[in-house]
Amino acid sequence: MIRAALANLAAAALPFVLALAIGAIVLAVTGHDPLSVYALMASEAFGGTRRIAATLTATTPLLLTGLATAIAFRAGVFNVGVEGCFYLGGLAAATLGFWLVGWPAIAIIPVALLAGALIGGAWMVAPATLKVRLGVDEVVTTLMLNFIAVNLTSWLVNGPLLARGSANSATPAIEKTAELPRLLPPSTLHLGFIISLALVILYGFWDRFTVTGFRSRLVGLNARFCRAVGIDVPSLLFRMMILSGLIGGLAGAIHALGLVHRFVAGFSPGYGFTGIAVALLGRNSALGMILAALVFGALASSGATIQLFSDVPIEIVEVLQGTVMIFAVAKLGLLLRDRRGLA
Amino acid sequence: MSAPASRTRIGARAIVRRFGPVIANDGIDFAAAPGTIHAIVGGNGAGKSTLMRILQGVDRPDDGSVILDDREVRLTAPADAFARGIGMVHQEFMLVDELTLLENLILAREPVHAGGVIDRRKALAEAERVAAMAGVTLDWQMRVADAPVHIRQILEILRLLYRGADVLILDEPTAVLAPTQVRELIGLMRRLKAEGRTILFISHKLDEVMNAADSITVIRRGRAITTVLPGETSKAKLSEMMVGEPVELPLVHPAAPHAGVPVLAIDTLVARDGRGLPRLGPITLNLYPGEIVGIAGVAGNGQDELAAAAAGLGEIDAGSIRMDGRDITRARTGSFRDLGIAYLSADRAGDGLCLSASIRDNFIAGSEHAPAFSKSGLLRLRAIHEGARRALDTLSVRYGAMGDPVKSLSGGNQQRVAIAREFERKPRILIAAQPTRGVDIAGIAFIHRQIVAFRDAGGAVLLISEELDEILSLSDRIVGLYGGRITGELDRSDASVERVGRLMLGEKAA
Repeated sequence: MIRAALANLAAAALPFVLALAIGAIVLAVTGHDPLSVYALMASEAFGGTRRIAATLTATTPLLLTGLATAIAFRAGVFNVGVEGCFYLGGLAAATLGFWLVGWPAIAIIPVALLAGALIGGAWMVAPATLKVRLGVDEVVTTLMLNFIAVNLTSWLVNGPLLARGSANSATPAIEKTAELPRLLPPSTLHLGFIISLALVILYGFWDRFTVTGFRSRLVGLNARFCRAVGIDVPSLLFRMMILSGLIGGLAGAIHALGLVHRFVAGFSPGYGFTGIAVALLGRNSALGMILAALVFGALASSGATIQLFSDVPIEIVEVLQGTVMIFAVAKLGLLLRDRRGLA
Repeated sequence: MSAPASRTRIGARAIVRRFGPVIANDGIDFAAAPGTIHAIVGGNGAGKSTLMRILQGVDRPDDGSVILDDREVRLTAPADAFARGIGMVHQEFMLVDELTLLENLILAREPVHAGGVIDRRKALAEAERVAAMAGVTLDWQMRVADAPVHIRQILEILRLLYRGADVLILDEPTAVLAPTQVRELIGLMRRLKAEGRTILFISHKLDEVMNAADSITVIRRGRAITTVLPGETSKAKLSEMMVGEPVELPLVHPAAPHAGVPVLAIDTLVARDGRGLPRLGPITLNLYPGEIVGIAGVAGNGQDELAAAAAGLGEIDAGSIRMDGRDITRARTGSFRDLGIAYLSADRAGDGLCLSASIRDNFIAGSEHAPAFSKSGLLRLRAIHEGARRALDTLSVRYGAMGDPVKSLSGGNQQRVAIAREFERKPRILIAAQPTRGVDIAGIAFIHRQIVAFRDAGGAVLLISEELDEILSLSDRIVGLYGGRITGELDRSDASVERVGRLMLGEKAA
């Protein structure tokens, strides 16, 4: 048990270590001292309460996009449409956040979050139906739906939902009461972090101890077998895709109410896609995903400030991020091969 | 080409290949002379596919070696085998539907002008050359998607010729062909042979093998049983060698003759295989409580489809399945199981077990929502553990820990886990398809005792097996299946190897 956990941890850490090594080469070639840059990054990400709070803020959306992805992946569904759900969920929550004027926090926050989740789930109905009824590959449909979601929301905030007098493609700011409470003012860390963390932990419990969690894992391992022992595979796949969309939408809603306080075009710098890397690095396990989200959160938060204090360009951090993702996604190839083998 | 002819163009010397605890090839020898058609026959799971993979360089033997031109060689990759003139036509054609026959022929070996543009004129000339060599004419501009299946097959063979292969491995080439097309294909094989090419003909259709082959190697349970000439043997003898000698099992007592209402009634059922080809029926078969009905047949004659249909997994076109008089033809698999139909799949790695999941998970799979194992959607982990331990102990399963993956077990113990899972549901009907495939001798006897005990307790068993000894020693009634139809039925007391053999070959019971 413990040995297996350690092996999992090592496997999850490997892409990160490889990425650091490659990043070190890039740094050395460009005339920087890798060790001092890494030390600076570490202290930027974790040196002190304020910096830790910033890292956790950056971790928050990744926890949920990772979770949304993992729920689909472990059932063998390669849903890559969490990004689109994130956009739609963010827009829905922000819109309700400024529409529902005068609502108390206790009402407006749950309603806006619920709306964000529901629209994310609804967004997955079409690809889920196509997959289970007609066998249409979900990778294609969900990827394409991302473009639609991004451009649809972008059009809405340039037209019907554009803030009066604003030149930016943004909605008006949400009501003060709709903002998620800050945990450590003046840092931007907000209640969304606690909600996200709790959901990932709840997922860990669901994974191990519930009938649905059991079935969905087994379907991911061998769908033909599950069909033969009487599990309703199409229905399960459908529900897992919707659940994935619900959480993706919720992730966007939390991001809107917790941090951005409105919806803007380009709302997500690819949180949905980083979520794929989080799920893969974390091997769909709750603990693994929390660690993986933390890694990406730390890279994002240190990257933002590192160029202020050194001559290291932010691109170096992006190279690191990209490299971790490549190594994490190298697993995706294996997973895909398994799946094709079954078909 | 003027070198002295070798005695063996392609062959195997004591090839052994293990997959974990399962031995797929257990010391296989054979030798095909140049310019001959050498047939390799055997049931499913006999080890043919593994041997072919090794001859093709896709897989490597643990022991023994491939023989080419009388010399032992190590094939390291498919390209290596190809460079030595070995090519294979798979059961599933490897063609691009959207391209024409000509484009498929030259794919990956295109004749080109300088600059990389395909030289279509040269391609067509080459195509005509190989077609003339094989004595066929094709419409080269036809798209593969529009070509009938036998044309696709011929194209696959021509492609090997185009690429210069002189050893052609044909894996069940007649499975998808109509009788006239089979004759055409055999004619083509003979012409290729006359040119000095060597053909390995993998099949379990004994008529065709007897008709086409110069020599025949029989493979059973991973061993080459014998190599014979068609003139020295008969279909009956071959089928006997493929399925083995019956052994006496003292444990089995014939049950009381059945009477009353069948527990499972299959009526004029017609079903398709996974590829949508009609394979079964129409067949009518009744199963009564307290009896074992053995389905005897050579692989590919509808057994898989019969088992799938009876287990609630079939692609059913027509007819009905009734349990206790109730129509369940269109019911979901879960309903079949909830009504008391248990299934031991022949494809243990596919849908019989989830090999990468734990023993525990395999044990409760499909029953995880039962009150014994969960409450309000939460798994009762302790109850599951206890239940699994009790059931596995009852069946003397040898395992390390309950959390170990099933693939860490031997074939026999894997099957016991499947039996434990199915029996835990207290079924009334057991569909047992190839229940002892890949199981060692001791395990076979144990599994047989379990099946008989189930029968003695009033259960009904549909036993589907390619092992004639298994059918003969367990069945109360034996039904022959050939070409998807029932050829006849024998009572246990009338059954003999010869009579069952005739049923398997499509001859009516005498």
